Amino acid sequence: MGHWVRLRGWINERLVGRSVGLSLLLLLVLVSTLVALGSGRYAVGFWNTLEFFGTTLGLAQMEADQFELLYSVLIEIRLPRVLAALLLGAALAASGAAFQGVFRNPLVSPNLLGVLSGSAFGAVLGMLLGGGWLVVQLMAFVFGLIAVALALSIAHTFGKGSLIMLVLGGILSSALFAALVSTLKYVADPYNELPVITLWLMGSLASVDLDEILWAAIPMGLTMLLLCLSGRWLDALAMGDDEARTLGVPVTLVRYGVIAGAALLGALTVSLAGMIGWIGLIVPHIARLICGPSQCRVLPVSILLGASFLVWADLLARSLTDSEIPIGIVTELLGIPVFLLVLRRTRKSWES
Amino acid sequence: MEPQVLCANGLSFKRGQQTVLEGVDLSLSSGDMLALLGVNGAGKTTLLRCLLGLLNPSEGQVTLEGKALSDWPRHQLARHLAYVPQAHVAPFPFSVREVVALGRLPHQRLLQAETQADAEAVGLALEQLSITALAQRPYTELSGGERQLTLIARALAQGARLLIMDEPVSGLDFGHQIRLLRHLERLAAQGYGILQTTHYPDHALAYANRVAVLHQGRIEADDVPTQVITVERIRRLYQIDVEIVPVSSGRHALIY
Repeated sequence: MGHWVRLRGWINERLVGRSVGLSLLLLLVLVSTLVALGSGRYAVGFWNTLEFFGTTLGLAQMEADQFELLYSVLIEIRLPRVLAALLLGAALAASGAAFQGVFRNPLVSPNLLGVLSGSAFGAVLGMLLGGGWLVVQLMAFVFGLIAVALALSIAHTFGKGSLIMLVLGGILSSALFAALVSTLKYVADPYNELPVITLWLMGSLASVDLDEILWAAIPMGLTMLLLCLSGRWLDALAMGDDEARTLGVPVTLVRYGVIAGAALLGALTVSLAGMIGWIGLIVPHIARLICGPSQCRVLPVSILLGASFLVWADLLARSLTDSEIPIGIVTELLGIPVFLLVLRRTRKSWES
Repeated sequence: MEPQVLCANGLSFKRGQQTVLEGVDLSLSSGDMLALLGVNGAGKTTLLRCLLGLLNPSEGQVTLEGKALSDWPRHQLARHLAYVPQAHVAPFPFSVREVVALGRLPHQRLLQAETQADAEAVGLALEQLSITALAQRPYTELSGGERQLTLIARALAQGARLLIMDEPVSGLDFGHQIRLLRHLERLAAQGYGILQTTHYPDHALAYANRVAVLHQGRIEADDVPTQVITVERIRRLYQIDVEIVPVSSGRHALIY
């Protein structure tokens, strides 16, 4: 551990401190994006993909026929999906990192306050009521926020909003909405509705379209930016409420602001792509291994790593087998070994 | 160094029907090394939290430089008055330097990166407590004494002249306790005002230049150590018989 910390200190000083580390991560995101765009039933080589974008930017020349073909494959067919993976991966990782900071607990995931369960319930209810896709998404979003509001009000009614009561409120709210989802599944028509519901709950990026992603990118991008800006406050908050207050941090504002932001991100991801687990829990851990525990660095690094992670997970989901695997399953299967690797590194610092 | 004064006037605090503090007057000035004695449940923690502006008293008020704490913006207050909690375990393995650098928060704008002045203040604070060598170590892997020094360094990095400390020596071994008290004594000599709660009348006798006794929510004595710590008072407060004997260098020792 000592060696690792010293190495990390060195990396921070030499790399992240000089923005080289951040550039490397951006490069990772870029390369992941290009690889994902090129892969699929009609495979386009990495250099061809690069050439295509070079032509778009006027830096290279490509035959018009081939350009049009690649345009329809890369931009029209695959780009929405890859963009969705980038955006949702970043959002889930940011929301997890922020939750872990505000609850002072590295084992917290974005679902702690029930936002994912609430959204799932909203979406399923929307499907059963026969609403269109837009109705389903709206319901998912609204119920995600209702679930968080319920958790917060339980915490306030019974425990003056203390951390432990927030966690308990979250467990109750999450359990309630999970039970409601089961109820809806039970009453759903087992031949037509149930398979749709079950598949949707496993998460998929197949049905997102470009407009949706671009619209969602605005609130999500802003929220992620605000979360990144509150990094230093979150560090102080990790030391305890009284200490943070005496260091001049507006504790209540930061806590509820961050909860609201993280809940918003969670609700939006579920409404766009269903339940995608594990990213919010593991990506911040990998980020902490790379850049140390300070939230000022953990948040931006998590965002970049989360984006790449979900792009790769989605790539696996659509290319491992002939038919698509739900992405929630892929992130879970990928997440468990990654988490075990991370645990090997971090276990020691938790136990002390 | 400008002298600064923190003053509690007629402080009362009620929790439901129970009176925790009643008519407490207490002041802390630059150069004070004030030990606050009191048995468990005497209201020490409540008093500290009122002095830090974390709790609003039911009656009376706390002022810094003649201005009520509630009228100070929080980040301004943090540049004058610091809280040093008992050494705790942080949930994330921040480095010692990162913990101390949190003390610069009240001096920083939200977007501003660490400035040269911040870096110097952090370096100086580490030096003052002789923990420069620990700067890159994870805070979570330090001993209790080292963690306590880190938290004091953070208070110095804040630029605060008045430090409020909650039982700084509790949980430390003998060597760390005495070394910590000597650090505090040196800081007081440099013009810092230090208030620490303690369960050790012998420490108060040896290292404080003022001792206050909080008993059943009231300050029942506030004077130089030899006036406050007497055989009779120790017997009444703690039901223990002791002897107080003068030793060399004008100090007194408590024998039990």
